[in-house]
Amino acid sequence: MIELKGVKKTYYTDGKETPVLYGIDFKVEEGEYVAIMAPSGTGKSTLLNILGTLDKPTEGKYLFRGRDLTELNDDELSKLRNKSFGFVFQLFNLLNRVSVLDNILLPLLYTEVYPKNAREKALKLLSMVGLSERVHYKPNALSGGQQQRVAIARALINDPDLLLADEPTGNLDSKSSGEILEIFDEIHKRGRTIIVVTHEREVAERAERIITLKDGKVFKEERLK
Amino acid sequence: MKLKSFVRLLIHSFEAILSSKGKAILMMLGTAVGIMLLSGVVGISRGVEKRIEEVMKFVGPRTGIIFAGGGRLTGASGRTGSGATLKLDDLNALRSSLSDRAVFSGAIRRDGFSLKYGSQATESQIFAGDTEFLIVNEWEIDSGEPIDNDDVRNVKRVCILGITAVKNLFTDEDPIGKRILINNIPFEVKGIFKPKGTNPMGFDLDDIVFIPLSTGMKRVFHTDSIRVIRFKVREGFDLTNVQEEIRGVLNQRHKIKEGEPSDFDIRTPLFIANRINEMTKTIRLGGYVLALVALFVGGIVLMNILLLSVSERIKEIGLKRAIGATQKDIFVEFLLESITVSLLGMALGVIFGLLPIFLLPKIMPMIPMAFTVKVFLYGFLFSLLVGIFFGVQPARRASKLTPIEALR
Ligand SMILES: Nc1ncnc2c1ncn2[C@@H]1O[C@H](COP(=O)(O)OP(=O)(O)OP(=O)(O)O)[C@@H](O)[C@H]1O
Ligand SMILES: [Mg+2]
Repeated sequence: MIELKGVKKTYYTDGKETPVLYGIDFKVEEGEYVAIMAPSGTGKSTLLNILGTLDKPTEGKYLFRGRDLTELNDDELSKLRNKSFGFVFQLFNLLNRVSVLDNILLPLLYTEVYPKNAREKALKLLSMVGLSERVHYKPNALSGGQQQRVAIARALINDPDLLLADEPTGNLDSKSSGEILEIFDEIHKRGRTIIVVTHEREVAERAERIITLKDGKVFKEERLK
Repeated sequence: MKLKSFVRLLIHSFEAILSSKGKAILMMLGTAVGIMLLSGVVGISRGVEKRIEEVMKFVGPRTGIIFAGGGRLTGASGRTGSGATLKLDDLNALRSSLSDRAVFSGAIRRDGFSLKYGSQATESQIFAGDTEFLIVNEWEIDSGEPIDNDDVRNVKRVCILGITAVKNLFTDEDPIGKRILINNIPFEVKGIFKPKGTNPMGFDLDDIVFIPLSTGMKRVFHTDSIRVIRFKVREGFDLTNVQEEIRGVLNQRHKIKEGEPSDFDIRTPLFIANRINEMTKTIRLGGYVLALVALFVGGIVLMNILLLSVSERIKEIGLKRAIGATQKDIFVEFLLESITVSLLGMALGVIFGLLPIFLLPKIMPMIPMAFTVKVFLYGFLFSLLVGIFFGVQPARRASKLTPIEALR
């Protein structure tokens, strides 16, 4: 599904060069659950943003189902993200002014065709993440764990091919973290491809495969199951 | 389909606006004040139009008035007060040279003459006029007889009363054939006018006594000059052309050379309309300028608050880009917010602008103000313009953010 070939990333800010990724190569198959592990501040988010097409590599190729995404323009990438990618961020990134339900429906604001059963689908996802009682709450009335579960439901509303999560449990206590990871297991069981970025071993171990980065390169790959 | 997604987007922008009410109110304020002023001005303009229509209808579109002396009403061009410049001979001269083009009538009007009948006494205004005067002005007789050429020729002491004068003098007698005293001179009541109501300036048009022009000049007013000559242009002739011909005839008789000011003044409905227009021009112009200034200042405020809100909502923009919003989607969203807030401001402005339109004419009837749907039309157009014009910059800034810039 995914193939990175020699992906490099260097930030250029205020005339300073910050090389972060020095040439990353790996593949992810359809339906895989992969964790990318690295210590803090070493380019995990950078890599995930590139995988999510939120940022472009300075060099290298990013093949998604055979298409080189580095060659697509902004509009094409936006449409691809809307259709094929779901994002879960460390800080949830929910819109506090609208209800839980509307947060989940938000990606549909940008789809070409609005699904007829959108509402039922959102409610179903909400029950999957165990928040059926909170449909009409505003996100800031929920706990961190609950907010992250809403964010997961939002990421799934468009039936994405790929779920990308950047430290999804980074801001949560261990109980909430456990709940989130269980949901990820469930999503994976239903056949979706997941890439999780984390610096925590326990989180990474829930995946089928761990890719460890070091010095901006792939240091090691472990297959767990 | 398209409409539904637009509605969803609209609801979304409403939620954004409602989520910070203080900002929303600030953003609306300029448009509200601007549109309020604009509504007021549009209302006044409509009022002026309406008043001109009333005057036109009252004066008659084909009639004009020649006043003795230069501009008595205008206070303009020379010889003000020299009201003795139009003679009966001028009237006769106009009749003999231009009677194929217009009907001329002479009249003198004076206020405050005593009327008596038996023990009843009152005051009224006296109109001394000829038979043509009644025709030109379409003053019709309700009962009795009109004044005829014989009355004028023989300087008869006969009169026609308006119904207010009748009410003031007679209780339940039939006035026709009775003798009344005008300025202590006996007159016989020959007829009664049909009621005419009040004119646009509020005068009671039925509080009059009409007598033959000759009788008025010789026996009541003791004068050989006429204050006004009215004329009605016949079908097929142009009022403005005839007006110039009249000016020519009178200038020649009064020995006034080219370029010199005339010692008379010709008024036509067009002239009156222009006067009303001119008198209200400054108010309207000032109003428009104020409204535009308010809209502009309001627009600047709106733009800056929206710019502020773009930087406050960078994370939101980043998230939306991540979940698939294109640059255009973000642009449209922020522009829609700007337009929505501006239109909400318009709604407020129109409400506050309509209040004076409906209330002011009741409190101060001399201020012309009238309702017109143009208030809504202009309000909508201008607030839409403000929303678009001042929303573009913030919307562009929001849409140009790259997803990771916005998410960081
Ligand atoms: N826009 C940028 N400009 C310059 N340097 C950047 C930029 N974004 C990230 N960096 C640098 O790149 C490096 C990697 O950042 P990144 O956020 O990818 O790390 P991370 O592994 O996700 O860290 P964390 O665990 O704290 O989330 C850091 O040293 C950071 O300072
Ligand atoms: Mg990170």
